[in-house]
Amino acid sequence: MNATYSFSTKARMRVAASALAALVLAGCAYNPPKPWEKGNLSKPEMTMAGDPLDQRFVEHIYSSKENASGGAGVGGGGCGCN
Amino acid sequence: MKMARMFKLFGAGLLVAVLSSPALALDAGARAPDIRLPGLKDLVSLESLKGRVVYLDFWASWCGPCRHSFPFMNQMLEKYRSNGLEVFAINVDEKRSDADRFLQEVPARFTLAFDSKGETAKLFGVKSMPSSYILGRDGQIIEIHRGFRDEDRQSIEAQIVRALGVH
Amino acid sequence: MAATKKPTKYGSIAAAALALPGVVLHAENAPESGEVALKYLHYNDSQPGLDRITVSSPSIYLLLPISPRWSLEGTAVSDAVSGATPRYHTAISGASRHMSDERHAVDVKVTRYQERASFSLGVSRSDEHDYTSNALSFAVTIASDDNNRTWNLGVGTSSDSIGSTNDANLHESRKTTEVMVGVTQAVTANDLVQGNVTVSNGSGYYSDPYKEPDVRPNKRGHVIGLLRWNHHFSELGASLRTSYRYYHDTFGISAHTISTEWVQPITPRLSVTPSLRLYSQSAATFYFDPIYDKNVGAPYPPNYFSNPPTYISPDQRLSAFGAVTGGIKFVLQADANWRADLKVEHYVQQSNWRIGGSGSVGLDNFYANFIQLGLSRRF
Repeated sequence: MNATYSFSTKARMRVAASALAALVLAGCAYNPPKPWEKGNLSKPEMTMAGDPLDQRFVEHIYSSKENASGGAGVGGGGCGCN
Repeated sequence: MKMARMFKLFGAGLLVAVLSSPALALDAGARAPDIRLPGLKDLVSLESLKGRVVYLDFWASWCGPCRHSFPFMNQMLEKYRSNGLEVFAINVDEKRSDADRFLQEVPARFTLAFDSKGETAKLFGVKSMPSSYILGRDGQIIEIHRGFRDEDRQSIEAQIVRALGVH
Repeated sequence: MAATKKPTKYGSIAAAALALPGVVLHAENAPESGEVALKYLHYNDSQPGLDRITVSSPSIYLLLPISPRWSLEGTAVSDAVSGATPRYHTAISGASRHMSDERHAVDVKVTRYQERASFSLGVSRSDEHDYTSNALSFAVTIASDDNNRTWNLGVGTSSDSIGSTNDANLHESRKTTEVMVGVTQAVTANDLVQGNVTVSNGSGYYSDPYKEPDVRPNKRGHVIGLLRWNHHFSELGASLRTSYRYYHDTFGISAHTISTEWVQPITPRLSVTPSLRLYSQSAATFYFDPIYDKNVGAPYPPNYFSNPPTYISPDQRLSAFGAVTGGIKFVLQADANWRADLKVEHYVQQSNWRIGGSGSVGLDNFYANFIQLGLSRRF
């Protein structure tokens, strides 16, 4: 029973690396749209939100069959799913 | 050699960055630049409307509030054309077909212009969609409206009336 | 379902879509129209030789713009669950007796929209006869002046009560809190990127009363990094939605999830979206493989009685495995207001599909099918 209840340095570093990767990715072609160039981004499939019932259903399934869950927002409760 | 090339590339990149930095927005009091764009049939221009008050609008098919501003612009034109009002609406859709579909749905009885590259929007420094500019008879920008809310109708109409000098 | 030849309607479909919730680039106004959506969801899973769980759940979603400044959103779902699950590992002989249960869940969220910000308060509740969960959340989005960047902040708390049909004396509870910080950036006119970090901490009862032997730590924390990237291909009219999630928790489990969706409009009315999801996790430190004590036998590991471990679990969900989900979704926008959708997915979980390590030994594969049939109406 070593430091099981604190996050390992490795885990912290992975999260930091992901954040860095995001920045690099974003930096590659950073050319944010002008107000009149937002036609494509306003398509519903281009927003981060999706079909709310679809998402809830699928998240619920995965959270009951896999260990990892969450990450996209806050507010869900648990379940006693078997 | 390679180093020199890299510097050149860097310099070119910097230049592009400077050139593509946001153009200064035109404020009230500024003179509206002339605009020549393809219309529904022929070229249309702001210049040809000189001497009249112009309600200049930037719109796109994907812009939600534009569905509400169209009927308003039709109504204003109908009411004040005889007093010297013109409505000049510039579409900034990348694809003309998107604009055409919108127009089949939401009728427009005013002058339409198509700027698929958004060059005129850039010239005016448009900050949100839709954006509208009230131009005086001398071509000066009198008022700028960003977005369109139903509750703004009255105040916009009042400004149009003032610009027209209707008593 | 034959498409009426009215091209005039097509425009409104694209435009009406703007009223959808979650159009991040215009945070300052409530959605312009309301929406009601119904979905029938069907789920069933199995392992070789055992059909495990079947779930049927009708669900409803409602979005109500109250004013340009306020909106109300809510969902309700009712699950009817039947079947059996193994009491340890993937042992069929030890599968729980045939069970049937119902779960009712509701959540409601109210959002206030400001010039450059939105504030949401959400409550949710989930009820089963042996499990109740209540959650509260508060989220803020703050948009930049050009609306190209949005900061997302959220805090949530949940309180669960856990019982068991096997043990009427079991009355346990658990509390968790989580904090999320993220940013969404329009990188180009065709690229939207999001990065979120979530940290959660909880304490209370984490064991599974239906597994044996199962004793888990009474504290659990996790950290999640989520990256999402949506890209639009103008020439094809298609959008590629991708995400990567890294998860790590104090049970010692690390997990990676990659998911991709290709949204392809076929006609102005119909779109098809194939999707692929890859998942991989390591095992919890206290998960034990299905190797049992020679004298006592399953489900107890060797020396369980002579030298009992502090924490232990035979739960397949805490083992090391990989999983793949393939799916396809069809969305038919019948007119500006009516929409129908169908989604079918197949899921396979397999120990040796773990990425970057060997999976847990001695477990059967796990298969599941998810089907969704939906209808929605904007008003």
